[in-house]
Amino acid sequence: MFRRIVNVVEVLALVGAGVFVVLLFTNQGSSGSPSSPGAAIFAANCARCHGSDGGGGLGPQLSDGKVVKDFPDENDQISFVTHGQGGMPAFGKVLTAEQIRQVVAYTRTL
Amino acid sequence: MATETATRRDPAMKLLVVLLAGGAVSLALGVYGRVHDPTGEQPYTLVFTHTIELKVWFATAVVTLALVQVLLGARLFGKIHVPRTAPPWLGDAHRLTGTLAFVVSLPVAYQCLWSLGFQTTTTRVLVHSTLGCLFYGAFTVKVLSVRAHGLPDRTLPIVGGAVFAILVGIWLTSALWFFTSRPVGIPLY
Repeated sequence: MFRRIVNVVEVLALVGAGVFVVLLFTNQGSSGSPSSPGAAIFAANCARCHGSDGGGGLGPQLSDGKVVKDFPDENDQISFVTHGQGGMPAFGKVLTAEQIRQVVAYTRTL
Repeated sequence: MATETATRRDPAMKLLVVLLAGGAVSLALGVYGRVHDPTGEQPYTLVFTHTIELKVWFATAVVTLALVQVLLGARLFGKIHVPRTAPPWLGDAHRLTGTLAFVVSLPVAYQCLWSLGFQTTTTRVLVHSTLGCLFYGAFTVKVLSVRAHGLPDRTLPIVGGAVFAILVGIWLTSALWFFTSRPVGIPLY
């Protein structure tokens, strides 16, 4: 009886693995493709902490003018993103200066 | 003579095929993680506040199940002697815990790959991404090693140990980091 249960669980696991692979390729997400290079960079590097809409998560909220209020000068934000501080990683080693400029510009529109 | 050589080569050839299959799985996941545009979305949170809490606790459950599986495996191979008489269901319990660990890991891996992709922002993230891809390759090798007969004797315990070690590495670079270093204000669950 126990062995039969284990066999059923193994079959379900196999089905689960199949669903896993299918969803990876078919689920496009609610927002579709990023609308700009800055949005794509944000989705790839920032959204996991700051949320897909910049509403905050592990990292602070950026949206609704919050980041503009914290960094009135865009160059200060670029420097912060480049060098990092505290829990914020230094993206200067990961992104080019142009990419950082693009993503910073994008966050200021959220 | 030729037949004898072929027979001797057979286990090595089988092992090579199994390793190549596992490598293909790891590589495929890594390529997907790099090529796919991360959505940055939280596809599900269940009873948790954010997806990250779900991932942390599910990953902890996976490591716990894997630890139980390792202990059951050690008893199966006679490396430990508790209980003194091995119950007849030991092998099935070993299979069940491993299968459940795999199933519980899927929602975590899906969120990682689909929402975040393979990232290299920090050393911790790079190591975590790499180990995450290696895990499913190693798991594939483990499952195929169980099914394929005639592999070298020590294949199964070595591969099983490697799968567990990779899993612990994944947990250390994610859940433990979250438990010890998460920013102030982020709930534990």
